[in-house]
Amino acid sequence: MQASRARLFKEYKEVQREKMADPDIQLVCDDSNIFKWTALIKGPSETPYEGGIFQLAFAVPEQYPLQPPQVRFLTKIFHPNVHFKTGEICLDILKNAWSPAWTLQSVCRAIIALMAHPEPDSPLNCDSGNLLRSGDIRGYQSMARMYTRLAAMPKKG
Amino acid sequence: MQNQEGPKADGEFEAAASTPTPEFDDWPNFGDDDIMQQQSAIRAEEADKTPFVGDKEPLSSLAAEYKSGSPILLEKIKVLGEKYDAIRRTRGDGNCFFRSFMFSYLEHILESQDRKEVDHVKVNVEQCRKTLQSLGYADFTFEDFFALFLEQLESVLQGNETSISQDELLLRSRDQSISDYVVMFFRFVTSGEIRRRSEFFEPFITGLTNTTVEQFCKSSVEPMGEESDHVHITALSDALGVPIRVVYLDRSSCDSGGVSVNHHDFIPAVGDVTNASGSSETVSPFITLLYRPGHYDILYPK
Repeated sequence: MQASRARLFKEYKEVQREKMADPDIQLVCDDSNIFKWTALIKGPSETPYEGGIFQLAFAVPEQYPLQPPQVRFLTKIFHPNVHFKTGEICLDILKNAWSPAWTLQSVCRAIIALMAHPEPDSPLNCDSGNLLRSGDIRGYQSMARMYTRLAAMPKKG
Repeated sequence: MQNQEGPKADGEFEAAASTPTPEFDDWPNFGDDDIMQQQSAIRAEEADKTPFVGDKEPLSSLAAEYKSGSPILLEKIKVLGEKYDAIRRTRGDGNCFFRSFMFSYLEHILESQDRKEVDHVKVNVEQCRKTLQSLGYADFTFEDFFALFLEQLESVLQGNETSISQDELLLRSRDQSISDYVVMFFRFVTSGEIRRRSEFFEPFITGLTNTTVEQFCKSSVEPMGEESDHVHITALSDALGVPIRVVYLDRSSCDSGGVSVNHHDFIPAVGDVTNASGSSETVSPFITLLYRPGHYDILYPK
């Protein structure tokens, strides 16, 4: 508990210092609880998520950094490796490939990379995975773009 | 997969963790998180059976394990008994090599009070720190693990306020918040060494997993619970400058009839060791591990 708090505090300081270094990620710690974080990440360019801002919720366990943070999308997203209803993310580093060498910031970068490079063979969203697996790139992209527009872009007017 | 899963409240994380039996009739909702929880429940069950580091047991307890097993193994255990008289088991959680090394090394320092060895290993630890920094690891990702190992190293040396006894060392080795941190320290050191000398390790790694050196470190060295192979042992031994003997207990036998027990000495790359001992005499490992396919325990020579 003490160790995880100390580590998170270091990450907090690092995030403050490096705020400008990674303009695609805005990582914010809950005011009253250092184990709760949220992040706003930009949809990577040349993907159907471009132009969207996606919100992630982090729940950090007490055994952090020996155990990975729990991360999910709060913003609705159509992606093979993200559960359409819960926002749960299928990413190896959030499960068995986790190590303390990762940080909350680098997890965000890994999630952005996952958005740009979906892995349709381990789908959490089967509809999305099947579109990609059957080669219907256009179908996948238009669905993903539609949800980006509906859920991840600021409403006009 | 409709409606069952509302958005998860954050509080559900703890709540779910306390009910480790998932609903098996609910397959569509059997998510990754549930699988992780089930895995940690299995691990918790395993934890009740064997502590991270067990008590010292006579070698006869090993023979008892194979009472109705392979005669070759029983024969080999008999041979083993000529040189070794005790075994200390470690938990089979994928960290057994590092955990065995941890206890064996700290116990050796506690018993020998070899300050020269401690100074020597500290120099190497600082080298490992520089290696990680030059590889681009942020200090805060590994420094807590380094600090905790150095703290243990200090405390097994007697004569300080923080000095500990053999019993306390065993307790600490069984305390997850210390034991896992030291294991993770070794994982960082091992990963750094492999990546620093990636040209040397590459052929071995390609032979093992067909991945790049970097991928191997990310997926098979740094994550807790990933089992160790000769690549890990070589790298750790080289990085810390600590020789390790591994005794192999398996069913292999030679044609000539006589049963012998093989061992392999991992001797750190030259330079480090000779510098430390100040002479070129042959180094003999003070750490002896017993390898049975898939698992490492600690062996005690007579």
